Amino acid sequence: MSLLAYDFMQRALMAALLTGLTAPAIGTYLVQKRLALLGDGIGHIALTGVALGLLTGQAPLLTAVIVAVAGATVIEVLRLRGRASGDVALALFFYGGIAAGVLLTGLAGGSAATLTSYLFGALTTVSDADLLLVVVLAALVLTVSLGLAPQLFAVCQDEEHARVSGMPVAAYSVLISVLAAVTVTLAMRTVGLLLVSALMVVPVAAAQQLTRAFRATLALAMALGVLAAVSGVWVSFSVNAAPGPTIVLLALAGFVVASPLGGWLRSRRGVTMPTDDLHDLHDLHDGKD
Amino acid sequence: MLSDAPTLHVHDLTVPLGGRSVVRHVALDVRPGEFVTVLGGNGSGKSTLVRAATGLLPHTSGEVRLFGTPVADFRDWHRIGYVPQRPSAASGVPATVREIVTAGRLSRRRLLRPLRHADKAAVQAALTSVDLADRAGESVAELSGGQQQRVLIARALATEPDLLVLDEPTAGVDLEHQQLLARVLAAHAARGVAIVLVAHELGPLARLIDRVVVLRDGRVTFDGTPDAEAAAFAHSHDQHHPLDPNSGGARAVVLGPGWQAGERR
Repeated sequence: MSLLAYDFMQRALMAALLTGLTAPAIGTYLVQKRLALLGDGIGHIALTGVALGLLTGQAPLLTAVIVAVAGATVIEVLRLRGRASGDVALALFFYGGIAAGVLLTGLAGGSAATLTSYLFGALTTVSDADLLLVVVLAALVLTVSLGLAPQLFAVCQDEEHARVSGMPVAAYSVLISVLAAVTVTLAMRTVGLLLVSALMVVPVAAAQQLTRAFRATLALAMALGVLAAVSGVWVSFSVNAAPGPTIVLLALAGFVVASPLGGWLRSRRGVTMPTDDLHDLHDLHDGKD
Repeated sequence: MLSDAPTLHVHDLTVPLGGRSVVRHVALDVRPGEFVTVLGGNGSGKSTLVRAATGLLPHTSGEVRLFGTPVADFRDWHRIGYVPQRPSAASGVPATVREIVTAGRLSRRRLLRPLRHADKAAVQAALTSVDLADRAGESVAELSGGQQQRVLIARALATEPDLLVLDEPTAGVDLEHQQLLARVLAAHAARGVAIVLVAHELGPLARLIDRVVVLRDGRVTFDGTPDAEAAAFAHSHDQHHPLDPNSGGARAVVLGPGWQAGERR
């Protein structure tokens, strides 16, 4: 347990644990909405927030949260209003976010090394103040994404049905985007802004190879996320590598293992995917069955 | 049984879609227990009409009232069961049949409260009525297209609504289960539930229907009993079950013992 003897490693492991829990929790809803890359877009926007923090002397984590939340809200509003399709809205923010981030960091006198620590994570830089903010925001994200699970599930599953059920679909959609933005900034110091989306999506992709239910997918994705994040920090410390890439590669390894396992489980249940919808229509036309 | 206000009141409704009026000056009243089918070809505006009627699309002129309340002010959404037109019940993450049908209870549930006994019972009843109770624990993505349609219908039934709006719910559903669906809808209509069904063709549902509304280019070109519609347009979809053409009691005929006997062939 030598690594726990270091204060900064205790903080890093705590931050990784919370990131591993929150990123797949909100990521499950993004994947369900087929907006898996939203986290990536928000990560790029958050970089502008970091740069603003560096430029103004504020805590970068705080300015990143504010800018990411604002950007995520605008993306979702653009999508809901039909002004831009989800992927085009995202693309605009990808490029704008990273360009402004690099430009502003340069103006602030920051170097490529400064940026790299935010892009790919830097364990030694998690301060006590950072950790406190991470704990508070993670508690918020988990409370909402688990407490409102029935509502968020319904909105992400079928927007039209949710609207006719009287649910404030726009408000819930923006809420999901805001939670995603908060999660991205939480993960900034562990996985880094460029790879955070992987921790939102890859554990979910791995989990759904093995599950049939939404709740089971959510729970398993969170478990896999924690496993990848905590063991990733551990490994990256041991071999002196950047934590973000280590965590992401471990999560991907989970997918590589889960995928054939899921195929084997389905074949045992006698299920072939995807089901053949045309078969039914042919039966109908032929008057069979 | 009939209350003063119709369940659904549509008056002089015009709905634009992409800069063009897709529904034009349509009037439609549906009363409790009434079973109305909206027929029309592709692009006739039939889906747009029901989407505007449920508040999913804004309208430029005219009026939509649900249970007497203008749709913009309507809040009693648990009184409406809606089956949207979509090719699949699945999304990007696996979900079981029961999880999706349980979403039909949300308009009756309070925030942050667990499912009550009544919620579970309604979900189970809905699953049973569409013959999917034994598949409740399976992932919807692993079901056939027709089975997925029945999941969406069960979700609307689980709401225990007073108005059921179904947008082409029988696409891909096999004949046996279309007949099952016909029986389920008939039972709901007999209990006073108003039903608005958008369809391409009627099939086994034909004999349950009180009224057919035919849309063409966004306008109502026919509104009357199914057999009158058949006579007017010489369509083939209900010639196998002659009904009394002048009967205001067509529903009594189709919902009486006769429909069951006819149903079983």
